[in-house]
This record gives sequence, C-alpha cells and structure tokens, in this order.
Amino acid sequence: MSILQVSTSPVLTPIARSPGYWSGVVRRVSRDPVAMTALFVIVALILMAVFASSIAPADPFKSAMLRRLKPIGTPGFPLGADELGRDMLSRLIYGARLSLLMGLTPVPIAFIIGSALGITAGYVGGLTNTLIMRTIDVFYAFPSVLLAVALSGALGAGLTNALVSITLVFIPPIARVAESVTTQVRSLDYIDAARASGAGAFTIIRVHVLGNVLGPIFVYATGLVSVSMILASGLSFLGLGVRPPEPEWGLMLNTLRTAIYNQPLVAALPGAMIFITSIAFNVLADGLRTAMDVKS
Amino acid sequence: MSTAPDTLATDPRDRGGPAQSLLSINGLVKHFPVKGSGFFGRGGVVRAVDGVSFDIRKGETLGVVGESGCGKSTTARLLMHLIKPDHGEIIFDGEKVGIDLPLSEYRRQVQMVFQDSYASLNPRLTIEDSITFGPRIHGMAETAARAKAHDLLARVGLDPSRFAGRYPHELSGGQRQRVNIARALALDPRLLILDEAVSALDKSVEAQVLNLLQDLKADFGLTYMFISHDLNVVRFMVDRVMVMYLGTVAELGEGEAVFASPSHPYTAALLASMPKMDPSERTIEAPLTGDPPNPINPPSGCRFHPRCKLAEPVCATIQPSLTASAPGTSQAACLALVPQSGHTLAARLSLPVPDIESMLMPEASA
Repeated sequence: MSILQVSTSPVLTPIARSPGYWSGVVRRVSRDPVAMTALFVIVALILMAVFASSIAPADPFKSAMLRRLKPIGTPGFPLGADELGRDMLSRLIYGARLSLLMGLTPVPIAFIIGSALGITAGYVGGLTNTLIMRTIDVFYAFPSVLLAVALSGALGAGLTNALVSITLVFIPPIARVAESVTTQVRSLDYIDAARASGAGAFTIIRVHVLGNVLGPIFVYATGLVSVSMILASGLSFLGLGVRPPEPEWGLMLNTLRTAIYNQPLVAALPGAMIFITSIAFNVLADGLRTAMDVKS
Repeated sequence: MSTAPDTLATDPRDRGGPAQSLLSINGLVKHFPVKGSGFFGRGGVVRAVDGVSFDIRKGETLGVVGESGCGKSTTARLLMHLIKPDHGEIIFDGEKVGIDLPLSEYRRQVQMVFQDSYASLNPRLTIEDSITFGPRIHGMAETAARAKAHDLLARVGLDPSRFAGRYPHELSGGQRQRVNIARALALDPRLLILDEAVSALDKSVEAQVLNLLQDLKADFGLTYMFISHDLNVVRFMVDRVMVMYLGTVAELGEGEAVFASPSHPYTAALLASMPKMDPSERTIEAPLTGDPPNPINPPSGCRFHPRCKLAEPVCATIQPSLTASAPGTSQAACLALVPQSGHTLAARLSLPVPDIESMLMPEASA
C-alpha cells in the first residue's frame, strides 16, 4: 500500500491523550514530604504578607523610647521590641510584604529575559552566541552587589529602581545557565531529527528545546530568590532601596545590628526570617529538580 | 539482490523513471576548521569529506562502510542538509537540491535514522508526539497525524495502544529504534539514510530490526543508504556497497562483487579483518596496522598508501580516481588498477584482475 493514504483501519481506537509532562511533575513533587513542607512554609509566608494588617497585633510604626530593645517574651511584645521600641512581631509580619516583593519580583522577570537571551545564543550559536555571551560576560565581571549598587545609584534611589537593578544583575547568570544547557541539548540527535523533518528554528525551540532546558534554568532561578532578598536588604542599608521606617527584613537586620550585644536574639530575628524563606525556596527548587526528571 | 518494487512505478513523485538515480552526489567536500593551539596558532582543517561522488539508484540499498573517522556520518549529515557542504551538489531525482527542489520538499523525501536511539528521541515527548511532529510541521491535521502515528507504530511492530503514550526511557533500545524508524517514515520519505541504525543493538534485536527494515523497504518502496561498520550486516542488507577511507571513496560496486573479489587493497584488508567462523581460516597477521592517518593532514597521493602493502613511490604522488578494472567489476580508487599509472602492478595488468586478496593475505589463504 502507499503510505500517502492515511490508514483508517478499524484496529485504530482513539487513545486518550497520555497525562502531560507537567501533571507528572506535580504528582511526583506532591509525594515529596520535604518539598511539600517547604511549599507549606512559602504559602504561609505569602499569606502572612497578604493578611499582615489583620494578623499583626500592633502598629509596626508606633515607637516608644521607654520600650526599646525589650527581650523576647515581654508581655505585649511576644518577640520583643526593636531599637525604637516598635513591636518586633508586627514588624516581622509587615516586613514579609516588602521582603517577598523584593525577593520574588526580579527573579521571574530576569528568568524570562535571561532564558530568552541564553536559549537564542545556545541554539543559534556562532556569531550570535559570541555577541550575546561576551556582552553578558562584561556584566558578569562585576561582583553582583557592586553592580546592583552602581545600577541603583545611576537610576536613583527608590523601590522600583532597586527592583530594576536587581533584575538586571540576575540576567547574566540566568542567561549563562540557559546558554550552556541549550548548547548541550542542541547537539543531541533529536534536534537534528527535528531539523531533518523540515521544522523551523522557532518550532524546534518551542517543542524540543524549551521542555528540556527550562527545568534546570528554573531550578537555578529559584535559588536566586534568597540572593535577591539579601541584595535588596543591602541596597536598603545603603539607602538605595526601602527607606526607614518601612519594615523590611534586610533593613531591620541592618538597623538592629547595633543592638547585637544587648539583645542578640531580637537582633537575629529578621535574619532568621530571611533564612527560613531562602531555605524554603531552595528546598522546593531541589524537590522540583528531582520531580522534573522523567526517569524518577 | 532485490529489484525495484512495483510501488516505485506508482509513486506520483517519481520523475525520471527507474533508470534515473534517486540521489546523485557530485564532488561533495566538507572541511571542518580546527582551532590552532596558540593564540596565533594556525588552525588547520579536518578534511572530513573530500571529494565524494556517488549515485543511489531507485529501490536499492547502498551500503557505506569504513573505519571510524572515514567520513561516513559526515556524508550522511551532508545528504540530510544538517550541515552545509563546502562544495559539491546533491541532485535528487534529477532536481538540484536547494535550487530546483526546495529544501523543505527535499526533507520530506529524505529521512534519517540515527545510531543513538535514546538521543534521537526527545525525552519529554511521548512516542506518539515524537512521530506526529514531522507530519504536523508539514500541515497535517492532528487527528490524521495521530492516526498515522498509530498505523506506523503497528507497522514497526509496536502495539499503538500500549506504546503511543509512553516516554522513550520506558522502552528498550530495540523498541526505541523501531520508534525512530516510524518517526522517519512518518513523512513518507523515498530515501531513508540509516546511520549505524542497528549498531547499538544487541545481536538478536539487531536481526529483528534488519528484517523489519527489509520488510518496510518492500512495503513502502523505499531506497536505503545503509551506513555501518559491521561488514556481515552490510553483506546481508545491501545491493551495492561503497567503501570510504579518510573522506574519500576507495571502492564502489555491487555488493557481492566487492565481497567476493575486492579490487581495492583497503577493501581486501577490511574484509580480511572480519572474524572467520572457520578456525582453519583464522587470520594470523593483522590485515591492517596502525590508526588511520590524521585527516587534518592526510597523506599525499593515495591516502591509503602509508598502510598499503601494494604501495610504491608513485602512490605518494598521484591521487587515484575511481576506475573499473574490467567490465562488471567494482570501481576502485587504486593506481594498481589504472593502466600506465606508473605502478608496477598496473603495467602488467591483464584481465582478469590480479587476485589482490591472495597477494595481501598469504597466511589467510594458506
């Protein structure tokens, strides 16, 4: 017979579409207790930020010089008071808003731009690759904090400019990871097979490259959430990001550092919050990395 | 061995009739630049394919054999237009590819099966999605493409209801290679390039896949270019065989003629290196010594002369072209077969051709 005609023999029964790749990832990650704990922590932090005004027991801006640096457990101040006598618990709850904003906003934007640049460089190769990657190397040569400070300084102080500069700082490393993973995938035979079937570059990237490179880039980018929060607090400390008296964990950590000998536990609280958030994101990213492996 | 099946005559895409070659390759050249060692180091070129010309006839299986690094796979990739040739033209059924015949149309008619069955399937796509990708690119509706994929899976011996939704890692090597064959057939190609397609399979599975390939060839009226380093498999599969050495064609001829009486000393040495089933025919001395020379700086003249037992000074100066020593024999690129070439064997060349095999292998024939 000629294969030009599509056979419609009665043997053929319409087969239900196999469950997609991502539903498999969700199923596997939901069976990972460690990743689920991390996800629970992240959801709790987000809920805390959203409902801060109804959860917080006191006004985070109300200061009283007489109540300065109360220890943890003081009646009315379950987590003590800061150097201006403001309720630590309320400030930590409100601080989640800005800290999560600073931590979470730059990463997805940098993820999209960095992936686009890196995948283009990796797939096209040649001169395009050299042009994109060498430009990125120039940015990569600066230490990230220095670059963020320089960009923030150039753009001017303010929350938006701080977010923009952190985003710009994250694009080069994400693009690098994207480029190296794409170069690896590009050399595999299934890409050649797709090219041999006459598909264009855009279709090949969409169908064959993205699914195989986004996983590792995504995992890498998730790890940047904590770096982003720390960078943001650094910018706040230098007066380039969040300004006092706004509650933000990085800023709180910096202003409380003078009290480290008087009330070390209180002074360490904002750091503990940053630590918990970072760990939660890193553990979730690790769980996703495992779940994204089809063979597991 | 096999004649062109009847399906060829009915193929509406056929242009020149059965006498016209399906694929004609003229003077194909591909050099890969290599970076120099130092900062100002002079980079050389790897002469991966250096002036290769051959035809693939309609309905035949052309075998391509040679040591690793001889340019077999590069030739295959050049034919698929996965890499651009530096020189040379590819003519498909009378139409020059890229000029008379658009590349997209050419790619529907020529497909390839790769050696690594795992790397040639996207691990994130189900078997079914991998097979339907090509037809969908060429505008086939999804339901039709899916029906076709199921049909092809059944044709390559995989139950579509069990395998369509699976992922490549859930299949064995033989099953994956069947999927790759189905994927290649999904575009209704006329020429299938099999680049070491069965080399990575174990022997029993290899035999099954070879039989499958033979059946598919007859059913679909296919033409095969069969690249392999396994001479036994090539002998089983092919109508004609092309022997490559260091980016050039050493010998080209009917399969049985080449295997029975090789004309080129390299072919003779290759055949002598095949393990013998009969202990009394055991090869004592290695038929070929040393590695193939560096293709960055290939030997002058005949590229085989540093390893050839028939080599004479003239071999280092003149590069031989393919010559048939007598009608009906295979063509070989060897000065010993060219009259008046200056080679002592050529001078007293008389028909029939000298028995090169016995001259090379006194121990083997003793």
